[in-house]
Amino acid sequence: MKHDEVQSREKPNRWQAIRDFMYGMFGMEIASHAIEMRASMESLFMLTTVGDMIGIPVLPPYYSLRLLPFVLPQIATWKRRVLREREFTDEHDYHLDGL
Amino acid sequence: MNTLWVVIIAAVIIYLIYNFYAKPIDREVIQADVKKATPAKMYMDGVDFMPTNRNVLFGYHFKSIAAAGPIVGVITAANLWGWLPALLWLMIGVSFIGWASDYSAIVVAVRNDGNSLSAISHRLIAPRTRSIMFIFIFFYLLLIAGAFMGIMASLLAARPDVPFGIIILAIMGFLAGQMLYRWKMDLILVTAIVVIVTLAAMIFGPIGATPKLDTSGKPTGAISWVGPINSAMVAFNGAIDKISGGNALLTVTDPTAADPRVPAPGADGKRVSTSVYDAATGTIKTLPSYLFWVLFLLVFAYLSATLPIWRFAQPVNYIGFWITLLTIGFSAIGAVLAPFIKPAIGAFALDAVKPLTWVPVASKAWQPLWPMLFVTIACGAISGWHALFGSIGTARQLEYETDALPVGGGAMFTENTLALLSLVAVSIAGTGGGAGRFAAGVGSLLTVVFGDGFKLLGTALGFGAFMVIVLTVTQLIFRVMRVTLSEWVGDALPALKNMHVSTIVSMVLTVALVLTGTWVYLWQMFGAANQLMAALSLLIVTVWLKQQKRNPAFVLWPMIFMYITTLAATLITARNLYVTIVPLGGVEAAGAWAMVIISALLFVAAILIGWDGYQAYQGFAKGGGKAKKAAPAAAD
Repeated sequence: MKHDEVQSREKPNRWQAIRDFMYGMFGMEIASHAIEMRASMESLFMLTTVGDMIGIPVLPPYYSLRLLPFVLPQIATWKRRVLREREFTDEHDYHLDGL
Repeated sequence: MNTLWVVIIAAVIIYLIYNFYAKPIDREVIQADVKKATPAKMYMDGVDFMPTNRNVLFGYHFKSIAAAGPIVGVITAANLWGWLPALLWLMIGVSFIGWASDYSAIVVAVRNDGNSLSAISHRLIAPRTRSIMFIFIFFYLLLIAGAFMGIMASLLAARPDVPFGIIILAIMGFLAGQMLYRWKMDLILVTAIVVIVTLAAMIFGPIGATPKLDTSGKPTGAISWVGPINSAMVAFNGAIDKISGGNALLTVTDPTAADPRVPAPGADGKRVSTSVYDAATGTIKTLPSYLFWVLFLLVFAYLSATLPIWRFAQPVNYIGFWITLLTIGFSAIGAVLAPFIKPAIGAFALDAVKPLTWVPVASKAWQPLWPMLFVTIACGAISGWHALFGSIGTARQLEYETDALPVGGGAMFTENTLALLSLVAVSIAGTGGGAGRFAAGVGSLLTVVFGDGFKLLGTALGFGAFMVIVLTVTQLIFRVMRVTLSEWVGDALPALKNMHVSTIVSMVLTVALVLTGTWVYLWQMFGAANQLMAALSLLIVTVWLKQQKRNPAFVLWPMIFMYITTLAATLITARNLYVTIVPLGGVEAAGAWAMVIISALLFVAAILIGWDGYQAYQGFAKGGGKAKKAAPAAAD
């Protein structure tokens, strides 16, 4: 990291910091959950199209190859997400706040 | 003592501890490095792992840890021991244990590829640790659900100005979910509509009610419910109670007298009989209206537990957080201004130290300051749940390692100020007990900002905010409880994998505790389970630091203290139940026995984890055993 980037982190804009804090308190939970919902739908789409990459062939490879250019950018993060060991506590649906 | 002194003491201590204790540990022991890649960067998937600005993450982490815990515990402890022991434990606890627990749990997860604490314990300590933590979490949730359901049902039945706001909150929750996710309306507009309507409903609840006066014209503490909404609620409760002809369906006894249905003692120190409390025998009557409100809460929680989270639970939480923030925020302004504007309000009316309830009489409950204070006030000083959450949520979004302290430690210190504000509210209120004292204190603080005419409305808002804080947590508890239950025993009992079955089983167990249990004992056992979880998280960090050949003193000593304290508290609570409630027989005895068995389970589980942790620690200390077997991901 460049020195000036570190410096800029040391002196943040106060109003921006307050706005960020407020967003963290009020908006981030909703945004994170929306992202999680979208990601679960995308995972399903990826599974049906390129599932053979993780050993679950659903579509014939012909169609997978036709779709490959469109899904290519997401493959790395998708594989990382679905192949990672997960617990139920990982999901926002089961976060318990306030204790 | 007044409110300003609390503000000054807290500000000075937090500044000193953060800068001269926490920062050196972050720098020298943990050696946080701004250049080291965090899991959020290494494994970014745009969902769970996502580098996030530290100010955003600070707000998110604070919102996730702060609500009912720091408020309810302080209220209970201040009523049992006075404000001074509560203040001392809050400040000492957060300074030397609380921030260290939250911060270190995030750090250990960051240095272990963003794995959760239970996954790390599985690898670092012993495989069974993970299984035992499941049992821990389930009973922890059961106890807190019982404690919260009990106090909420009592308040709804006893305070006719409160239910209207809660009913509107439920309706607004549905509406907010619909407006946000289906109608795609602007968040600010939705917020304005639902928060204003809910706040208005909470303020309308007490309108028309007037304090009852004695013959000399002084307030007696009782209220005439003659307003349009509160009188309707009185009539509604009365109509339900006619089902049993006004007779109790069952009676229970609360040796701690903390049940909201037990009236506060008068000036002569004696309690008077009410429609639900018999002063001569000390028994509390469970009337049909109480059961109705239990049922109302169960339906509320059932919807939260089984509907998609965006449909109900999340919008209710969102509204609830606004209500809480506005109420607490204005109360905080009142607390700072009170000594200058209205010194009489800012002065503490509660005893600094109450006569210690450590009575070594064989047939009576024991509430010694140690260890019971340290489990009664859990969140606000230290909480195991924070560590669990920090390791799975915040740790995976940390942009830089150096953000762990301002986010994890900073949020804990901020939560501590929330607990202090609750302590201030309870301490300045001269009358009432438990939640009533908190609400009265909030009402007084709000008069500093909004004028004397706001007292009754402010008190209602205090009750409303208290209810909202507790309710928003309770609705999520059943959601987590049902999934914990199905994860834990779903393979052995496949029926429990069905979310409706697991929710109903969780609710039946909770209702059994609500109807037969005693609120304070439930709370203290929850506190013990929570603090044990904190001790276990500190244990995991201690073992990890030993593995990394670093000095674990800043977590080792807090861990030993919390471990011994909470084990002792678990035993004392079990003993209190056995001595004071089991001899009564009937349903109360059944509830007490259930709680004694749960405490025995928690005790044995904690001993097993402690033993495994000790062996792992010794293994790493000798440089062999576990150290050689540790998986690569556990390495720094």
